[in-house]
Amino acid sequence: MNIWKRPFIATMTALAVIALAAHGQGSSAQSRPLAKTDAVTYLFPAQVSVTAGKPSPVALHFRIAQGLHINSHTPSEDYLIPTTFSIPDGAGVRLDAATYPVGTQMTLPADPTTKLSVYTGEFTIQARIVATPGNHLVQAKLRYQACDQNQCLPPKTITVPIDVIAK
Amino acid sequence: MKSFFVRRNTLVLTAVVLILAIFAWAGWANWEYRKQAAERLLAGAGQGELVPAPGSGTPQYVSPLSSKPAPAFALEDLTGKKVALASYRGKAVLINFWATWCAPCRLETPWLIELRNKYAAQGFEILGVDTEGDDLQKSDTAGWAKDKAAVGKFVTEMKVPYPMVVDGDSISRDYGGLDDLPASFFVDRKGIVVAAQVGLTSESEIEGNIKKALNQ
Repeated sequence: MNIWKRPFIATMTALAVIALAAHGQGSSAQSRPLAKTDAVTYLFPAQVSVTAGKPSPVALHFRIAQGLHINSHTPSEDYLIPTTFSIPDGAGVRLDAATYPVGTQMTLPADPTTKLSVYTGEFTIQARIVATPGNHLVQAKLRYQACDQNQCLPPKTITVPIDVIAK
Repeated sequence: MKSFFVRRNTLVLTAVVLILAIFAWAGWANWEYRKQAAERLLAGAGQGELVPAPGSGTPQYVSPLSSKPAPAFALEDLTGKKVALASYRGKAVLINFWATWCAPCRLETPWLIELRNKYAAQGFEILGVDTEGDDLQKSDTAGWAKDKAAVGKFVTEMKVPYPMVVDGDSISRDYGGLDDLPASFFVDRKGIVVAAQVGLTSESEIEGNIKKALNQ
């Protein structure tokens, strides 16, 4: 049986192909880049294995978008928002301590006298965590406030997802 | 002969069901795509863009509010008194969105003070709008008290002579989202936005836009 001799089936098949093609066009338009990008991206680790109940070091790596800077953990002015890492209570994992990198000194072109303490590019926070036995998907938080040379973005808190396996 | 018809009917039925399933899936996928496209459009609505300035080619911020009436608002000042934009009708107004944590905002403040004092006699005023962007809830009285204290400290330190209101976040959407600070809107005596700036520019550029608002 040649189905192409059957007008109904042939029409339906052709319409289905057209529908699929139309959907394909829609999908490609959807992949356009977003106008806004996150100033800070968490890089790694996605998973860590630690000894349960003991303080364990974890190095957390982040990247700041090109052209932007964020305040260090110890900004030079008290009105600036410091970069802070935290782990919410009840996650089975506690943040025992966090050591932040020393900020790089920079000045804005419009004010060469004021030195700001900032992070640019990639930076690492040395965290020490204590976990109860088990597998914990921790939704840690990084709060920061980013600027470029002339303008600032509002403060933001991003989630830092870490799978903590404590044995 | 009977089995041939049964086989053919089964084949046709299977094909129809398959095609209908493909249609349903394509329809759902298209609906999903359109919904996401609409959300993207909505998110981008009202946001300005950088376009080359005539002659110089230097990127210049163009607000979608340009040549349109400035969106009305009434916000509390540091004493809790409501300050409405409408009460400035007849004056040229610079609406300056800023935040205490924004270093470029602080840098332009002395220029704003100087220009405000220079043009005040000609019917010019600045309205400072504190826009912290930290999602303070209305019920967070401690948070608002802290915010007002920080703004008050800045106003006192800088001897800011113009009115300062808080909770700019509540009107940020009307003014294009205000993803970047500082952001300034220059409104003429009729309440029309004649120019807008985002980011730290220069005192002369701000002055040029004030003159536009004053129609000089």
